[in-house]
Amino acid sequence: MAEVKAVRPRRKGPDLKKALNIFLFLLPAILLFVGILVAPIAVSLYRSLQKWNGFSPGTFIGLKNYKELFTSGSIKWNTALKNSLLLAFFSVFVQLPFALLLALLLGRKYKGERFFLSVFFMPVLISTVVIGQLWLKIYNPDYGLLNTFLDLVHLSSWKHVWVGEVETALGSIIVPTIWQYVGYHMLLMYAGVKGVSPDLREAAMLDGATNWQVDRYVVIPIIKPIICTSVIFAVTGSLKTYDLVRILTEGGPFQSTEVPSTLLENMLFLRNRYGMGSAISVMLIILCFAFALVISAVFKNRDE
Amino acid sequence: MKMKRIASMLMAGIMTLSLAACGGTGADTGSGTGTGTSTGTTTTGTTETGTTETGTTETGTTETGTADGEQITLKMWCIATESDSNRHSYEEAIKEMETKHPEVKLEWEAFENQSYKTKIKAAVAADEMPDIFFTWSCAFLGDFVEAGKVYCLDDVYANYKDELPEVMMGNSTYDGKHYGVPLTMNIVGLFANMDLLKEAGYDEIPGSYEDFIACCDALKGKGIIPFGCAGKETWCVTEYLESVIEKSAGADTLNDIFLGRASWNNQDVADAVDTFQELVKNEYFDPAGIGLTNDEVKANFMQGKYAFYMNGTWNCADFAADAEFSKKVKVGEFPVINADKSKLGQLIGGPSDTLAVAASSPNAAKAADYCMELGKYICHYGYLDGCGLPAWTPYGDTSTVNELTQTVAQIVAGADTMVLFGDTAQNADDANTYLSYVDQVYGSQIDGKGFIAGLAADIR
Amino acid sequence: MEVYFTSKKPKPVVKVLVYILLIVWAFINLFPIYFMFTFALKSNEEIFGMNIIGLPKEWLWSNFAAAMKTGNMGLYFFNSVLVTVASIAISIMAAMMATYAITRIKWKGASFTNAFFMLGLTIPLQASIVPVYVVLSKLHWLNHYTTLIIPYSAFTLSMSILICTGFMVEIPYDLDEAARIDGCGLWGTFFRIIVPLLKPALSTIGIYAFLQCWNEFMFANVFISDSAHRTLPVGIKALSGQHTTDWGPIGAALVIATFPTLIVYIFLSRKIQDSFIAGAVKG
Repeated sequence: MAEVKAVRPRRKGPDLKKALNIFLFLLPAILLFVGILVAPIAVSLYRSLQKWNGFSPGTFIGLKNYKELFTSGSIKWNTALKNSLLLAFFSVFVQLPFALLLALLLGRKYKGERFFLSVFFMPVLISTVVIGQLWLKIYNPDYGLLNTFLDLVHLSSWKHVWVGEVETALGSIIVPTIWQYVGYHMLLMYAGVKGVSPDLREAAMLDGATNWQVDRYVVIPIIKPIICTSVIFAVTGSLKTYDLVRILTEGGPFQSTEVPSTLLENMLFLRNRYGMGSAISVMLIILCFAFALVISAVFKNRDE
Repeated sequence: MKMKRIASMLMAGIMTLSLAACGGTGADTGSGTGTGTSTGTTTTGTTETGTTETGTTETGTTETGTADGEQITLKMWCIATESDSNRHSYEEAIKEMETKHPEVKLEWEAFENQSYKTKIKAAVAADEMPDIFFTWSCAFLGDFVEAGKVYCLDDVYANYKDELPEVMMGNSTYDGKHYGVPLTMNIVGLFANMDLLKEAGYDEIPGSYEDFIACCDALKGKGIIPFGCAGKETWCVTEYLESVIEKSAGADTLNDIFLGRASWNNQDVADAVDTFQELVKNEYFDPAGIGLTNDEVKANFMQGKYAFYMNGTWNCADFAADAEFSKKVKVGEFPVINADKSKLGQLIGGPSDTLAVAASSPNAAKAADYCMELGKYICHYGYLDGCGLPAWTPYGDTSTVNELTQTVAQIVAGADTMVLFGDTAQNADDANTYLSYVDQVYGSQIDGKGFIAGLAADIR
Repeated sequence: MEVYFTSKKPKPVVKVLVYILLIVWAFINLFPIYFMFTFALKSNEEIFGMNIIGLPKEWLWSNFAAAMKTGNMGLYFFNSVLVTVASIAISIMAAMMATYAITRIKWKGASFTNAFFMLGLTIPLQASIVPVYVVLSKLHWLNHYTTLIIPYSAFTLSMSILICTGFMVEIPYDLDEAARIDGCGLWGTFFRIIVPLLKPALSTIGIYAFLQCWNEFMFANVFISDSAHRTLPVGIKALSGQHTTDWGPIGAALVIATFPTLIVYIFLSRKIQDSFIAGAVKG
């Protein structure tokens, strides 16, 4: 009797207790995550199908918000999307290669390695709002550093109202964005480079490989997962851009530098269109996930 | 003596004006305007004589607020930040209220204009409004009223009828009920730097459009930029564009469109937009202005970078306060472009700055009374400072009001019709659609045809 | 490691080129900071006139006084520190507990739960701003420090769990077994064995979370309406709106906002970089 009964409770008891414990361990994280992220997004999804001004009850309108988003001449979603994709393009094909180059070079133990690392990482620590203000002073058409410098080197014809002209405004946002985060990606990649066993490197060198060849055929393949992460961060980060646009151009001139986040804010707070704002939120989530999936898939394919 | 004359001129002018009232929706709008005008005419008599004596009647009404001595705290949000020209009038008015109503503790906070719009809407959506809040009249306040979030001021207003003409309440009246306390009233003024005009051979602001254009060309010939306009803030562009549309297509046309009574699909508007675009294409505007904020453009104008600056008459205070600049600057009315459809005296503007009381306030009735009186003082001091024309009947010694504001008072006294600023008159969504297209016009991305077609399609 | 350098030295030309590149890039990174520090101490005449990039001729410390007084930078700095530190603390605690349940207790849903949390890495936080705002305000929870602390903890959670996992899987499982034999339950094992061993992870998680919270602008801008709880980014934006014509005090405010972080960074840069690197490797 004792034996039979002893087995059952021992099995069931700890299981239940274990489940409860797991639940308790996960509870704070789940509360935060679901309460602040998952549930609100579910609400956004639901609201995106409504015409809702934020105060009165909404009315269900199906996919009309999404349709209007793509067709309206004044909402500029297509411009916003194009801009953030362009930013993503420059991040992936200019910022990351440069960060990788720096990481590889510093990984070769040049003198002052630590100094350079520290300096390159510095902009990451400064608040983006500060960086934006600083660059505004650099771009200022009358007294800014950039135009003054162009005057100095007799290239006055190159002078521009940098954040105010359609041709240069987007570039004026892209440059500081890329500049600020080169250090971030560099340090991520540098970590990977340093993680490569010195023996591997040595062996390759003994076989007569040059530094470049070692980097190309030994280091880069090893740090591929880190590069993949960097690419995902760079792309989703570009889709989420907000601060620098708000500070440098406010989406202008002529709404040519709007990005999804500034549109989202306009919808909510300038136009009282919470339904449309929710539709933009949903589009952003879809885009971020889609890109993350595609990028990981691309990197996986390359591996095989 | 001179001031009294101007004050009564001003009031008389306002009374005969048809101020666009925007309360209610659809059919209501028409009747709203009707009532506004008729009330205006009936009050004309009383106000004209009343102007000089209001100083004495004022003390009588003050007592009403102080009935019981229970201590309450009221919260107020506004946009009178440190750098705002209205700041001083708020501080003075609040000081005065503090001495008159020691039982009310006012906690007030000021936010930067653009972020305030965000903040107050979010607060309304969440029922987190302060007791008293600053708002723009017409559509902006209308959204909140429609949602039932604003306290109706009809009861309190009865006590202040003598000091605040009903016509001034028109923009914050919805379905015949009053919801807002107007502060100052402003129009779009054509500010001119006379020193620069003199260089181009003009002693006065040109009166006809042909002369005006000739003047701009002359200025350009001298290497002077005619217009300064902040491209970073689209409302600054509308100050120019709306004047051009009004002076070509006529005030009624523009007003009907803003209030949703007529479609944007109007050839006269398209032509006017093309006229405006010509000004842009002729390089009358400072190209650097596209990337600047209004504060920066204004500073440039004061430093003598532009000959003209079209903007709200609230700027009079700052221009007059600058000892150097006040000698050079003059204000005038934009010339008529098409005399068949428009005439002088058709202006853009009206009472827009408004205080309102939250329906959710636990002390709403007291807040309403407090808000009325506070509004009166803000208006009073604002007028003395030159921040705009008073929506309330002026009282006390107003001889210190600066010359620019006096000129504006004269212009308003001779006004025929006033059309409220497009971004205030239309609801938030339409207003932003409108601003977006104005932006595209200023950037020469679309022409007049594209402008009316786009707006007609996007505004339902 | 020394070996390969002695066996094959890079060509001097390459070396020089590399140094030129590194130095130029270092210059590009340092110059804006230098520019900020100097224009913070100049008058408009100097900034707009001939002395744009030189050291100030007249050191206008009054700019700092102006920024502190009208800009309230001291308070904003304190607010930022408080909000950031509290968010990081909550995020770390929640992440450690969750990671423990995911990596060290064997159960069916573990990997699914992990994947679920990793969704947060790509979710744009803007997507949740409206509903969160409506909920917080219905709870009358606006304008507190917690109004920002709770969302910030949530947004940094995914990254924290990711890094925590990296560190936790390296702790030998034998330790758990040993603890179990000594009579420790799950909680005892967690607090007595795992948490002390995770100490190196703290600085790593802290740095990643810091980068996310310290610069956050959108939520801070929308959720906080009174000036008493404003954080630095919002404070700077507000200040610059007020002094568009006077560059000196703006510069001073930017310096105040940046200087303490930079000082800490300069002294701890090695530690900070190592922690960051640890995160990259383990994550």
